[in-house]
Amino acid sequence: MSAPSTASVKGDHFSLFGLSRKLWIEMSALEKKFLELSWKLHPDKFVNASAEEQETSLKGSSQLNDAYRVLRDPVARVEYLLEIEGMRKEGEHKQQAPPELLEEVFELNESLDELREAKASGRDLGALKSRLESEEKNFQEKLGEVDAQLQEAARQWDAAIDAKAGDSDRKAIMVRLNEMLNRRSYIRNLVTNVQKELQ
Amino acid sequence: MARTVGIDLGTTNSLVAYVDPQTGEPKCISGPNGSSLCPSVVSLDPDGSIVVGEPARRRLLTQPERTVYSVKRLMGRGVADIQDELKLFPFRIDPTSKNVIRVRLGDKFFTAPEISSFILRELKNWAEAHFGESVDRAVITVPAYFNDAQRQATKDAGKLAGLEVLRLVNEPTAAALAYGLHEKQRGHVAVYDLGGGTFDISVLKLISTAEGDIYQVLSTNGDTHLGGDDIDNLLLAFVHQRILQQHSIDISPLSELAQELRKEIISIKHQISEKESATLRFPLPNGAVFVQEFERPAFEALIRPIVDRTMGPVRQALADAKLKPGEIEEVVLVGGATRTPLIRRTVQEYFGRKPHTELNPDEVVALGAAVQANILERGVSNMLLLDVTPLSLGIETYGGTVAKVIPRNSTIPASAQELYTTGVDNQTGIDIHVLQGERELAKDCRSLARFNLKVPPAPAGLPRIEVRFLIDANGILQVGAKDTRTGEQRTIEVQPSYGISDTEIERMLEESIEYAEQDFAERQAIEARTEAETILTATQKALGTPQAADLSREERETIDAAVAALKESVTGSDYKLMRKRIDELNNATMHLAELVMNSAVSTALQGRKLAEV
Repeated sequence: MSAPSTASVKGDHFSLFGLSRKLWIEMSALEKKFLELSWKLHPDKFVNASAEEQETSLKGSSQLNDAYRVLRDPVARVEYLLEIEGMRKEGEHKQQAPPELLEEVFELNESLDELREAKASGRDLGALKSRLESEEKNFQEKLGEVDAQLQEAARQWDAAIDAKAGDSDRKAIMVRLNEMLNRRSYIRNLVTNVQKELQ
Repeated sequence: MARTVGIDLGTTNSLVAYVDPQTGEPKCISGPNGSSLCPSVVSLDPDGSIVVGEPARRRLLTQPERTVYSVKRLMGRGVADIQDELKLFPFRIDPTSKNVIRVRLGDKFFTAPEISSFILRELKNWAEAHFGESVDRAVITVPAYFNDAQRQATKDAGKLAGLEVLRLVNEPTAAALAYGLHEKQRGHVAVYDLGGGTFDISVLKLISTAEGDIYQVLSTNGDTHLGGDDIDNLLLAFVHQRILQQHSIDISPLSELAQELRKEIISIKHQISEKESATLRFPLPNGAVFVQEFERPAFEALIRPIVDRTMGPVRQALADAKLKPGEIEEVVLVGGATRTPLIRRTVQEYFGRKPHTELNPDEVVALGAAVQANILERGVSNMLLLDVTPLSLGIETYGGTVAKVIPRNSTIPASAQELYTTGVDNQTGIDIHVLQGERELAKDCRSLARFNLKVPPAPAGLPRIEVRFLIDANGILQVGAKDTRTGEQRTIEVQPSYGISDTEIERMLEESIEYAEQDFAERQAIEARTEAETILTATQKALGTPQAADLSREERETIDAAVAALKESVTGSDYKLMRKRIDELNNATMHLAELVMNSAVSTALQGRKLAEV
């Protein structure tokens, strides 16, 4: 295996696409720009070029693809923004239950345990399953709520950028965005676990 | 510049194709027997030479000990991976091999990339014979669902065959390229590719832009151990059971008899794709003949489990592309196994539209590879292929779980940076384990590589090493590291978990060059002999014309001597000597040729036929 260069390329995912660090992105324009840049950067265009140019193409096109992958996904986009703004460090995501959900999470985990036990002892699963299904639906709704809140906070962020708001205002919004991301990933994990058990 | 070709290195058959510069259309190149299909079979002759293709296939029955087929199943795999296949395929594995399998042919052992390189070299020869010039660059196709090790093994095979591999292209993507060119399609396309040993499904978006057409792969899925071979094995098991019941004969799956039975069963499989029933008649060692009538419905019931196994990946690929079956505008069938009516029907029902089968399913992948080779050769073009990595790339973390750093279906090249630090004071290294796969635990994923990241001694938590994982346009992993405090770049020595080391490759390369020189010399000798024959005949003819009388005595003597010398040289095998003698005879007959030519011209001017001269 050869070694790719780790020399960091100037600019972030937003600037690569000529965008400011705002969270609302027009998807068809993003795709158009992605295809346009792909024509220029893709390694297929540099097969007969010098090793140096090939290296630059590999670096440039991988960065383009990484950027498009992140910006295309609304949640990954928020995570990335917080990361480059220094508000979210990799590996430090909180996985604690949001306090107001504690009781419901506790009940859900109990139901999950019961289902696992019932499965192990070959008991009838019908009633347990339908209870879990309704609990799952409850958390799905909460996920929808978090997504709506996340969108609202994203709008506030964009407005703050437009208004050239000060650092403290921006920071407050980012703290909120970060909390919602954590909350979202917590609930999503719960839902995924339930779905796995119900399968 | 030497030619660039596209190669489909298949489980059952391999093909080589190029784009005709006049028409711009891709074409397959035929071998000596007139067929474009080169059976992916390799045999080691007792005299030490390598036999590939149809002649090798015939040896499956006569010299099974020295012959191997379906070697693609072994590419990039370890002995532990192939225990199931060993029950069904007559691979003779070196019992000492572990992470790189070595197969015995006669008295020698070869790795899967070496055996594949013999097939590639054969196709290279076909192409060189076709163009009359050397071919040293190629685009080679791989199943889209091939992992890093399988891709690396394919690239190694190309290198061993003396080919610069410009790009590994995914088979369904290549098929889409060939079809796109052919049908001028736009929108969402699904390619269902069931080959001899592998299954792929890819979903693409064909986009027109100002600069040209983009073929963007949205998602891919598959099974690298599911194919037409499995249908054969299923039928074989069924017939085996019947023979055991009716005649109490237990045919060992690795025996020659089983090979013969397999051949008959493949023929039945082909027949029943064309008609409603087929009858197997198989003579048994006890003198009896086993007879089994296959009706289409019963046959389909038997093979349905295989067809059903393809549908899981199909559903997953669509879900990953965030599309519903009805949103797919075109469906393309690729691979010989898709001739099976049950498969055509199943795919058509799922997508609600008739799949494309206009292009020969055996050739379409090679044709697409040729299109991509042509694009790359020219450097600039109005077509661009954006492919994806089929499997997520992950790093093992505490507790044996896997942290995904590049998700599956990411457009490649793709990369990820991870920052590492130390846990104890003066720690000198950090172990990193890179894996590929979708499962949560490292033990369920495919190990790509393990390496120890060297760290300068420092208090715990102080070092900051950034490791960059990059999947290149071939879908192959590269790793680099940087000390973010000092900015120092580092190359990481990564020993692949399943694969051949660079030194091993070098050694094989040296050996393969020996083979290559033998091959080359032999081919050159054959060509020189043919040419010698042509010039000898022409000289004989010219000497018989009245104009020959105008030659001086010296000229005549020189010609006679050159003829004798050339005749003598072609009885040997030194092609260089033959070439030299051909040139000498050419020089000696220069004046004679002029005389004959002038006379022919003046004869023509007088309006007389040459035959009357």
